[in-house]
Amino acid sequence: MVTNHRMPRNEEGIATVVGVLKQQFGDRFQTGEAIREQHGHTTTWLENQWPDAVVFARDKDEIAAIVKVCATHKVPVIPFGTGTSLEGHVNAPAGGICIDVMQMDKILAVYPDDLSCVVQPGVTREQLNTHLRDQGLFFPIDPGANASLGGMAATSASGTNAVRYGTMKDNVMAVEVVMADGRTIRTAQRAKKSSAGYDLTRLMVGSEGTLGLFTEITLKLQGIPEAISSARCTFPSVDAACQTVMQVIQYGIPVARIELLDALQVKACNAYSKLDLPEEPLLLLEFHGSDAGVIEQAEMFGSIAVEHGGGGYTSTTSTEERNKLWQARHDAYWATLQLRPGAMGISTDVCVPISRLAECVSQAQERLKADAFISPIVGHVGDGNFHCLLLIDKANEDEMERAAVFVSWLNDLAISMDGTCTGEHGIGQGKMPYLERELGAATVDAMIAIKMALDPDGIMNPGKIVHG
Amino acid sequence: MMTPTSEQELSECVSQAKGPIAIKGGGTRGVGVDGDVLNTNGLKGIDLYEPGALTVVVKAGTELSEIETTLAGERQRLAFEPMDYRGLLGLEGEPTIGGIVAGNISGPRRIQVGAARDFTLGVRFVDGQGTIVKNGGRVMKNVTGYDLVKLMSGSWGTLGVLSEVSLKVLPMPEAEATLRVHGLDLNDAVGAMAAALGSPYDVSGAAHLPNNDTGVTMIRVEGFTDSVSYRTAQLREALAKFGGEITVKENADDAWAAVRDVENFHGKDGDVWRISVKPSDGPAVVAAIDPLEAQFDWAGGLVWVRTEQGSDVRAKLSGITGHATLVRGTGQPRFQPETIGVAALSAGLRQRFDPRGILNAGLMTA
Repeated sequence: MVTNHRMPRNEEGIATVVGVLKQQFGDRFQTGEAIREQHGHTTTWLENQWPDAVVFARDKDEIAAIVKVCATHKVPVIPFGTGTSLEGHVNAPAGGICIDVMQMDKILAVYPDDLSCVVQPGVTREQLNTHLRDQGLFFPIDPGANASLGGMAATSASGTNAVRYGTMKDNVMAVEVVMADGRTIRTAQRAKKSSAGYDLTRLMVGSEGTLGLFTEITLKLQGIPEAISSARCTFPSVDAACQTVMQVIQYGIPVARIELLDALQVKACNAYSKLDLPEEPLLLLEFHGSDAGVIEQAEMFGSIAVEHGGGGYTSTTSTEERNKLWQARHDAYWATLQLRPGAMGISTDVCVPISRLAECVSQAQERLKADAFISPIVGHVGDGNFHCLLLIDKANEDEMERAAVFVSWLNDLAISMDGTCTGEHGIGQGKMPYLERELGAATVDAMIAIKMALDPDGIMNPGKIVHG
Repeated sequence: MMTPTSEQELSECVSQAKGPIAIKGGGTRGVGVDGDVLNTNGLKGIDLYEPGALTVVVKAGTELSEIETTLAGERQRLAFEPMDYRGLLGLEGEPTIGGIVAGNISGPRRIQVGAARDFTLGVRFVDGQGTIVKNGGRVMKNVTGYDLVKLMSGSWGTLGVLSEVSLKVLPMPEAEATLRVHGLDLNDAVGAMAAALGSPYDVSGAAHLPNNDTGVTMIRVEGFTDSVSYRTAQLREALAKFGGEITVKENADDAWAAVRDVENFHGKDGDVWRISVKPSDGPAVVAAIDPLEAQFDWAGGLVWVRTEQGSDVRAKLSGITGHATLVRGTGQPRFQPETIGVAALSAGLRQRFDPRGILNAGLMTA
């Protein structure tokens, strides 16, 4: 395990808060080891740091009350949804109180005419989409996991649809937030243009719970497209696939999804999802639009792909065929783990300008090969974002060390290409060392200034993004 | 007047300032504040334009017209369609990209693609103490800490002076068509625009110009030629139920520029307010204010009104959630006063970024 930064604990404050909240919340206040461990970070190689207690909150008044008690005694507050974040966002390095919001799972309102809705933070994206389907609407952001919308807003999640619909940052219109002093604010009214003053909505979205805790989220919705088509094509090289992507984007073909799977990833998906795709670099696309439009767009993609040496081009409007392919894409993580049973997956998350994508992916592949890692690559290539999933034996210290060196090398490579170490997973604990390397000390100071302005005692999810 | 020619000089101008600074780009947005003028016109030029990566990096004082001409050479554009305030305010000068990003200036296409802020991938700026800060870059998305890019956009220079911005650009569409539905009243117009936006036909503009009883509701679609004609036909069918004769105009750029710049109000007296509400509240806004003239953009979510001088529009809007900006006129604060909690947060941010309170002082406080 990678050891995290340790922070001093406020033992006296924690003991007091534990006593107060236990009285108030009864059996919705839990201090059992299993529950605490489960609410620490468990998804990757970062060590698990438990909170001292978990409270299952039912409404915003409860959240405000918990934060007020914690503020009085200067005790950390860590929000928790589905626990699917990847960079130690829910760890409690200084202990404190974890607020589990999953009982706050109500869809409070849907406004079809204004294409918006208001949800509680514990609503999951699949729950929301099931609810919206009958009204001809959907919410497009789809990180791999069936995450909570509170967590997705906190980490500014994205996924395969970002190339067309953007990330959470583009789709959260307003949030209601309990601030570090226990006061509740609403960042914007439910209007198309969000704010009159500073864009506090987008300051909160992606702040990883370090500035406040969401109690309501207003989301932008989309009409379900009239038609959806999908296409796939294999390429002789990752470079040829990336060149195709660049041209597709430049032509303005409105792709809804454009995903790259390298040959090893295709092999893993074939085995796991019982497919027989050629084991070569693959582009998988989806088009949303009118009946005629989606066929036309798929064909335009096909002709660009062929120019770049693409083969085995097929497209379909059949829902069944499409779902089978995309299910395989969504299961890529599980498929990869089967390549080396028992191993742990470590995902990188670099994002580069699209013009540097081919170069960045190729260099990553070469280095992975030279270092003898088993690591397929998948990418949301329309955004320039890709993931290497390194399969590591976590009992093998040398392997862990070499993996850490690779991750660091790749992050620096992306930064040297005007890119970023994280396109969608966030900073959390895991990427804190890269923040300054990427942005410089002055920018990190500006972020610390924001943290100090909004959370002077540093109680909101401490030890993430910046040390306030 | 200070006219720095490099980011370093800009930093020195700010750190050495003895009093308030009034930041000025093209001076085309009617933002008058007291202080020594700091002109960004010395920071000019396109540093990097990569059509294949859909990104352009420009110095803040670069004129919008230069950027648009360069992009057009590669059949690309700034898709957020920044509004030109000159006609409305009776001003001369050339709009600069710094002003557009700082003011988050957008146009009708915002309902489809987003605002200037959403296209701003990175910024470099000088804070109130002269420190040079950068955030974001040329990538399409990143989650590296707090989003200073979005924070800077719409802060009107009160948190820092922009020195450089990195923007996402988009290809120009092959074709464009605008449906014009004639003679709808405000309620039907909002209904028609909501129906168009809720359809799967990818509408990139929805505006309504009341013009007495011959009001025109405009719905725009853009994209590949065949797709545009198909969607136009489908929309025509979908909108038939609202009554009103429907005509179709291709390449209606001028008409959309007129909507964007609120041409109907040009050269006329009175105050001009820009009111942002949820689209279905558009007609209620007009009813509450009873203005001399009104116009809907963003499907009713953006209401422009021209009123008698000195009207307290905000008071009349009580009960309708949203916000009103006084674009032309005096006697009221330009920006909607914030609620107490939000105002405290904003003040806290200003205190950290500009502890001396010298950057466009007073502009964003009531």
